[in-house]
Amino acid sequence: MKKSKDWGIKIAPWVLLAPNLIIFAVFIVWPAIMGFTYSFYKWDGLGEKVFIGFNNYIKAFGSAEFWGAFGRTAAYALISVPLIMAAALLLANLLVKDIKLKGFFRASFYWPKMISFIIVGLSFRFLFGDSFGVINYILEVLGFKSVAWLTDSFFAQLVVILATVWSMAGYYMVMFISGLQSIPESYYEASQVDGATSAQRFFLITLPLLKPTTFLVLILSIIDVFKAYPLIKALTGGGPASSTKMIVQYIYEEGFTKSNLGYASALSMILLVVLAIFTGIQFKINRGGEI
Amino acid sequence: MKLKTLTIAMVIMACLLSACGSTSSTDSAGSTASGTDDGTASEQSGSGSESAEKKKLDFMWFSDGVEGEVTQSIIDEYEAANPNIEINLIEVPYNDYENQLKIAISGGEPPALARVTYVGLFKDASITFDDYVDAESFKAQFSDSLDPFYIYDGKIKGVPIDTTANGLIYNKTAFEKAGVEVPANPGDIWTIDEWIDAMKRVMESGDVRYGLVIDKTPHRFSTLLYGQGGRILSEDLQTTEINSEAGIRTVDIMKRLHDENICPASVWVGSENPNDMFRTGQVAMHLAGSWMMTNYRDNITDFEWGVTYLPVGVTRSSVPGGKYVIALDNTSVEQEAVDFIEYYISKEVNQKYCSESLFLSPRNDLADMEFSFGSESWQIFANELANSSPDAARDWGYAQTSALIKEPLLNGVAEVIQGKTSSKDMLDSLAEKVNAELAEINS
Amino acid sequence: MGNAVKKTFLYCILALLTLTFLFPIIWVMLSAFKKSSELFSWPPSFFPRTPTLDNFIAAFNKGDFGRYFYNSAVVSVSSTILAIIINTMAGFAFAKYKFKFRDAIFIGFLATLMLPLEVIMIPIFQVIKRFSMYNSLLGIIIPPAATPTGVFLARQYFLSIPDELLEAARIDGASERRIFVQLILPNAKPLMSVLFIFSFMWRWNDYMWPLLVIRDMDKYTVQLALANFSGQFSVDWSSLLAMAVISMIPMLVVFLIFQKQFVKGMVVSGMKE
Repeated sequence: MKKSKDWGIKIAPWVLLAPNLIIFAVFIVWPAIMGFTYSFYKWDGLGEKVFIGFNNYIKAFGSAEFWGAFGRTAAYALISVPLIMAAALLLANLLVKDIKLKGFFRASFYWPKMISFIIVGLSFRFLFGDSFGVINYILEVLGFKSVAWLTDSFFAQLVVILATVWSMAGYYMVMFISGLQSIPESYYEASQVDGATSAQRFFLITLPLLKPTTFLVLILSIIDVFKAYPLIKALTGGGPASSTKMIVQYIYEEGFTKSNLGYASALSMILLVVLAIFTGIQFKINRGGEI
Repeated sequence: MKLKTLTIAMVIMACLLSACGSTSSTDSAGSTASGTDDGTASEQSGSGSESAEKKKLDFMWFSDGVEGEVTQSIIDEYEAANPNIEINLIEVPYNDYENQLKIAISGGEPPALARVTYVGLFKDASITFDDYVDAESFKAQFSDSLDPFYIYDGKIKGVPIDTTANGLIYNKTAFEKAGVEVPANPGDIWTIDEWIDAMKRVMESGDVRYGLVIDKTPHRFSTLLYGQGGRILSEDLQTTEINSEAGIRTVDIMKRLHDENICPASVWVGSENPNDMFRTGQVAMHLAGSWMMTNYRDNITDFEWGVTYLPVGVTRSSVPGGKYVIALDNTSVEQEAVDFIEYYISKEVNQKYCSESLFLSPRNDLADMEFSFGSESWQIFANELANSSPDAARDWGYAQTSALIKEPLLNGVAEVIQGKTSSKDMLDSLAEKVNAELAEINS
Repeated sequence: MGNAVKKTFLYCILALLTLTFLFPIIWVMLSAFKKSSELFSWPPSFFPRTPTLDNFIAAFNKGDFGRYFYNSAVVSVSSTILAIIINTMAGFAFAKYKFKFRDAIFIGFLATLMLPLEVIMIPIFQVIKRFSMYNSLLGIIIPPAATPTGVFLARQYFLSIPDELLEAARIDGASERRIFVQLILPNAKPLMSVLFIFSFMWRWNDYMWPLLVIRDMDKYTVQLALANFSGQFSVDWSSLLAMAVISMIPMLVVFLIFQKQFVKGMVVSGMKE
C-alpha cells in the first residue's frame, strides 16, 4: 500500500536528483551553453561580437601549436595517471591496516593537496632550482655536477611529473581508503578460512570489489591531469621553450592573453568533446565502474 | 533519525546565511549609508545609493608595493573633505586583474575608477576626459612622451598617475670589492663591450656568481633593442620591425651574455626569478627598472646597491612605463570620478603619492621631485627617460604589443640561447607570426 | 616471528615515505619563520638562522585577515553541508535507479569538469547577477556545492550496496523515501566523511569563484587575499608563506576529525520495522 508521502519508484530518482541538478543546470550548464555560442564569434570580451561561423574551429584544427600542446598533455597524462593511481593505491593499502598514528600518516600524504599551487611551485623550485636548489647543492657537495632541472626540457618534464604525482597521490589515496573500507570484512574472513594468501586476497577480492573506486580515480585523475595548469605555471611557466606547456595553458595564452574569447571557447569545446568521448568509452568498457 | 540531522543542518545553514546578511551590510569605510542587503537586492556598485545623496565609488586597484596604502590615505583625506563621497578601494590580484575588469564591465558592473597598465585595452569602456575637462590644459600637465599611453584617436582616455623607467641596478659592494667603477655621469656611459667587460671583472673578483640578470619580459628586452636603434612596431603600428638588423644585434647580445656565462640560463631559458637572485647578492647587476626601488630598499640588508646608467648601443634609450587611472562609463558617477581624479593627480597629492610609493611623477612640474630615499638613483632614472627613443612609448602605448610578442619572443630568445636556431631565423619567423596576427587585428 | 618484524618494517617504510613526502612542506613551514633575505640564500638554508615571527605580524597587518578567515569558514562549512546533502541524494539516484537519460545526464555532469571555468566566466557572472548573488557570500556557497566530483564519489560508493538489500526492503513494504533515509543514510558515514573533507578543502581553496563573485573586500576569502601578495613585479613571499601556513590549519583539523570516520567494513543494519 502506498503511503501518501511516498516518492514512488519512478519519481524517486528525480526527487533525489533535483536539488543538485537544478543548481548545476543554472550555474554551470546554462553558462556553458552560452560559452559554446561564443566559439562562433570573434570577441575580445568588451566590444562587439562578430559572427565568424566555424573559423575558430578551422584555425584550431590547423594549428600545429594546439596539437603540439594536446599531444604533450596526452603524453603527460599517460605517464602521470598510472603513477598516481599506483601510488594512491599503495598508500591506501598501507594505511587501512591497524597501525598507530594512522591519522597522522594519512594527513601527511594528503597534505600536498591542501596547499595552494603557488606554494608547491615555490617549494619545488627550492628543491630543484638551478641556482638555489637544495638538490643541486647536495650534488655539488658530493662532487657531482649540478643538473639543470628546470632549464633542460627533459628534466623539466620529469620534475613536472614528479610534482604532479606528489600533489595528487594523497587525494586519490583518500578515495581508495574510503573504497577499501566499504568492502565487507566478512569476505576477507571467509577467504582466510579457505587459506588464501595476501596476494590472492588482494587480486581476487580487493581489486575486483574496488572497481567502482578505481574507475572513479581513473576518470577523475585523467581529467585533473589534463587540466593541470596552475601547478605547472608555478613550476616552470610552461618552459623551457614550451616543453611543459599543456593544453590549458595554450588556451589561456591564445584566448585570454590575446583577448580572443571566441577562439578560447572553441579550443575548450574541442578539449571537452575529446575528453567526453574518452570518458564515454571508459564508461562503456567498464560498465560505469559497476561491479 | 536522519530527518532530525537534516533539520539541524538546515537550522545551522539558516544561521550562517543570516550571518552572510549581517556581514554584507557592514562595509569597510564604516559609513552608515549602505542601504543594500546583499542577500536580496542586486548591488549597483558605482551607482549612487539612496540615503543623503551619498555617492559610492568603487575603485579597482592592484598593488605591487605600498602604493595601495598610500592611495587609501589619500582617499581618506578626500572623503574627509567631501563627506558626501565614499570611495571603496578594492585590491584585486594583479595576475587576474585585467580579466576581472573586463568581466565587470561586460557584466554591467563597472567600477567607477580603475588603475590600469594599458589604457588602450579599455579605451572603449572608459569615459573621454575631453567631455569633462579642458583637454589642452589637462594634457599639458604631463610629459609629452607619455601621450601614446593615454591619448587615443586624439582623445584623453585615461590619466597618468605614476611613471617608471627601465634601468640598471647594481651591487655596490661587489663592484667596490672588484675595484670596478660605474659611470658617474652621462658622459662616461659604457658601450656594450665596456659594460660586458666591467661585469666580467666583477665576476672574477667581486664574489658574485653571475654578472647580470635581465627580467624575462619583452619590455626589458626592448631596452636593449631601442639602444640598438631598433623598434618593435612600425610607425603606423601595422607591421612589426623587430627583425631588423638592430633586432638581430640585440638577440646576439643576449646570446653572447649567456654564452660567456654573464647571465644565468635559468632566467631566460627556465623561469627563475631575477629579483630573488639579485637580492641575495649572487648577481652583480639587474636590468630592471625604477619599480624595484621599494622592494630592494625593504629587502636587501646584506650589501649596498645603487642605480647606474644603461649602456649605450647605437644610441641611448630606456623604456617608459607606469600606471594610469581610467573612469568607466555607465556608472552614473562619472562626474564624481573625474572630480576625484583631478584631486588625485593634482601637484601636491601626486607628489605625496609618488614620493611615498617611490615612483617618478608623470607631471612636468614634478620632474625634479625630491625623494626621501635614493635621490641620485631617481635622477639617473629621470635622465634615462629624458634620453629615450620615442619609439619606446609608441610601441608600449599600443595595448596589444605585449600579448602579440611575449610568448614567441621569450621562447625564441630561449631557443637562440640554447643554440637551437639563429637570431635571424628566429626573428624572421617571429615577424611572420606577428604580422599575420596584426593583419587580423586590423582587418 | 612474522608479525612484529612485519609491523616494524611497515612503520619504517611509512616513516621514510612520510619524510620524503613532507620534505617540501616542512621546508615551506620553516621558511615562514625566516627573514626574507634568507629565503633564497646560497647555500640554501633549511632551518631558519634567526627565527622570527615578523612575517606573521606583517602579513596580518596587510589585510583584515580575521574577517577573511571568518568568511572562508562560513562559506566552507555552509557549502559543505549543502553539498553533502545534495550530492548524496544525487549519487544514490545515479547508482541505484534506472531512469531515462540517466547515463547521458551523468556523463554530462562529468563533461563540465573538463571545461576550464575561465572560459565561461562571463556567462557565470551574468547568471550570478541575475539571481542577485553578485557580491554575496551566497554566490560562492550555493553554485559550487553541486559539484560533479561529489556526485561521482557518492555514486561509486552506493554502487557497492547490494541490490538485494534494497529489494528486500521494498518487498517488506518500505517506501523509497524510507529506504533512503533509514537504510542508506546511516550506512553512508564513510562517504559523508570523505565528502566533508573534500568539500571543505575545495571551498576553502576556491579562488576563481570568490574572484568572480565578490567585489567588496570585507567579503574576501583567505585565498583571494593571499593572491594579493603576488604583485606585478615581485611576490611578497614572506607574508604569503606565513599566511599560507596558517591557512592550512583549518583543513588539517577537518581532515583529522573526519578521517576517523573511515570505519572498517560497511555496517549493514537490517531495516527496523
